[in-house]
Amino acid sequence: MGTNIDAAGAAYALRRRRLSRRTLLRFASPYALLAPSLLVIGAILAYPLYFLVRLSFQQYGLFQLIAHKGEWIGLHNYGVVLHDGVFWHTLLRTVVFTAVNVGLTMVLGTLVALLLVQVSSFVRILITSALVLAWAMPVVVAVQLWYWMTNFQNGVVNYVLTKAGVGDFIGHDWYVSPTSALGITTSLIVWGAIPFVTITVYAGLAQVPRELLEAAAVDGAGAVRRFRDITVPVLKPIFLILTSLSIIWDFGVFTQPFLLLQSRPNTDYYLMSIYLFEKSIGLHEYGLGSAIAILMLGIVLVLSSFYVRQMVRMGDVA
Amino acid sequence: MKRRISVALCLAVVSAAAIAAGTMGATSKATATTLTVWLQVDAQSGWPTVVQQANDAFTKQHPDVTVDVQYQQWNTHLQKFDATLAGGNTPDVIEMGNTEMTKYMAAGAFADITADKGKFPNSSSWLKGLEQSSTYGGKLYGVPYYAGSRVVIYRTDYFKKAGISAPPTSLSQLTADGKKLMAAYGAKDKTFSAFYVAGPDWYSAMSFVYDYGGQIATSNGTQWTGALDQPNAIKGLTAYKDTFLALSRASKTQDEAHPFPTTPFAQGHAASFLGPGWQYGYALDPKAGNPKLKPVIAAFAMPSHVAGKTMPAFLGGSDLAIPAGSQNKSLAEDWIAAFTSTAGESGIVKAGNIPNSTSLLSLVKGSPGTQLARAAQRTWFVPTAKNWANVENGNVLRNMLTQILTGKKSVQAAATDASKQITSMLNAST
Repeated sequence: MGTNIDAAGAAYALRRRRLSRRTLLRFASPYALLAPSLLVIGAILAYPLYFLVRLSFQQYGLFQLIAHKGEWIGLHNYGVVLHDGVFWHTLLRTVVFTAVNVGLTMVLGTLVALLLVQVSSFVRILITSALVLAWAMPVVVAVQLWYWMTNFQNGVVNYVLTKAGVGDFIGHDWYVSPTSALGITTSLIVWGAIPFVTITVYAGLAQVPRELLEAAAVDGAGAVRRFRDITVPVLKPIFLILTSLSIIWDFGVFTQPFLLLQSRPNTDYYLMSIYLFEKSIGLHEYGLGSAIAILMLGIVLVLSSFYVRQMVRMGDVA
Repeated sequence: MKRRISVALCLAVVSAAAIAAGTMGATSKATATTLTVWLQVDAQSGWPTVVQQANDAFTKQHPDVTVDVQYQQWNTHLQKFDATLAGGNTPDVIEMGNTEMTKYMAAGAFADITADKGKFPNSSSWLKGLEQSSTYGGKLYGVPYYAGSRVVIYRTDYFKKAGISAPPTSLSQLTADGKKLMAAYGAKDKTFSAFYVAGPDWYSAMSFVYDYGGQIATSNGTQWTGALDQPNAIKGLTAYKDTFLALSRASKTQDEAHPFPTTPFAQGHAASFLGPGWQYGYALDPKAGNPKLKPVIAAFAMPSHVAGKTMPAFLGGSDLAIPAGSQNKSLAEDWIAAFTSTAGESGIVKAGNIPNSTSLLSLVKGSPGTQLARAAQRTWFVPTAKNWANVENGNVLRNMLTQILTGKKSVQAAATDASKQITSMLNAST
């Protein structure tokens, strides 16, 4: 009897162990498959992020850079940034700048996508090629072209505007006021961002059921109504992801404004990324710069949280 | 819920990457047999043959070593250098502006070469100002490279046509002459400047300040105080503003390297400009300038508001230093010695500069040499504070000038703001 029980117990234990090994395997294998990519992400993102956070609590100037060792100063860097008037002005300017850029990019990009649906295939190829070319243009080259075109002494923009009778633009300096200078920057950024939006939205438009549009048209719905009530709901996920990506890009945009406004360094022209650069690299205050970067990260998350929530809500439904 | 987290995480990661990308930089790593030299673009545009000769002489001495000269821009070279300090792959030789040295020497960025001073040609008669800018705590960290003063470079044909027979000898004379030039050429050519000066060019503007007895900052030995808000400095800044608005149609926002003043000058859009001596030759360069101007180009020392005197010129200059992390210190010293040889310095002088040694001053002659030498007799220099580079990198003076010239702020208001910033920057503990 006793041996029987023992045998049964052993068999049970064996089965359980086998079972648990199987469950374990089933449970573990996705993680094993994920591990390499997690490792890579950890190495190229998590570690720098950790380093950035650590740096933001340190006094890290030129001396510390050469010694490769910072001094712990707690929240001091954050205090310095939050008490800097330039920071708040720059933040406000950057938020407005981001709103204008994202708004223009989305509206113009969508309009061009809608245009693509309407035109003949020859014109469509023409427009698409132009878009891809604009997209493929390296940013630095585009900045140089903008720089030449808006040059105050012999730029083609001033020449054309004068010849077209808009006014006397000879010698007009587009960079003399922050509004005008950031306007030029906006035109460059929007120009570069439209292709991505247009091509993505155009791809999304293929998903809009044709029969739905036709039925609505038969029922007497105008173009605006059809766009608002059929196209927009279908494209909503695409609009949300494009908008939140654009917010992230435009809030932190650096290359275009930095190169275009490089030699016009007035604080009145600062965007967050330039403020960050001037404080950290320009003044060799890497700890301070890290604190600004962390604050920027938080601000971007707040700014895009609305869109993220929308997306998450849709994710729950799906 | 899981999806929610992953979406949020995804966005967090993307935005973090986007922001982090803005703060990073990289340079290529040199191998053991390559000597990496960072020179400023001035050498590339002004005296490329001197660089070539130094490379040739050095390679003859060390046939197994390749010299890689990389040309840098003034406004970005320190940022790039910092990136290499963090990464541990610094160049072996770096050219530093004499105003930039102190902060780096204090932080321990350069190798101590006090014991090897004898290795460098003419080192017993180096220019005092340059040698001082290479010395910190009694130790030598750099080799004087060259000095430069500034002169007005002008077109004799334009001056003659406007009825001006001789170069001006006072600031008011310069303004009167300039107005004649504007009347003669300014109406036809909407981009014409009688006296071209880039608005935020603080080297020129501060010459006005020092001419009227002003200063950028004063020190009592322990504390620095910004002095641009003082009456004499305000007089100088006002004179600069008046001169600029009357005679220059250059940008009020773009600095003196965007474009170089030689560009409008070579194109005929400027009758004169105030620039460092090497730009005299650069204005005649077949690629960057206009060689046809050779018969009509000349120079005069910038006149003071006091008739007969010259306006104090910025005593610019460069030193060559060896970063402390360089593995090739001895090779670097050999290259510097070849580059600053008597032959090298005479080539640099021909390009319109002042040599690094008093024993070579006799090389400075002809045009624009004599005028450069005359301008070099009355000079000014930036405050010798450890943190001065922060004021330059923080663009405090350029910001102030743009605000003044665009009328955004009054001279007094802009100068007071700048002065406060300078005080706090120069006294900061780091």
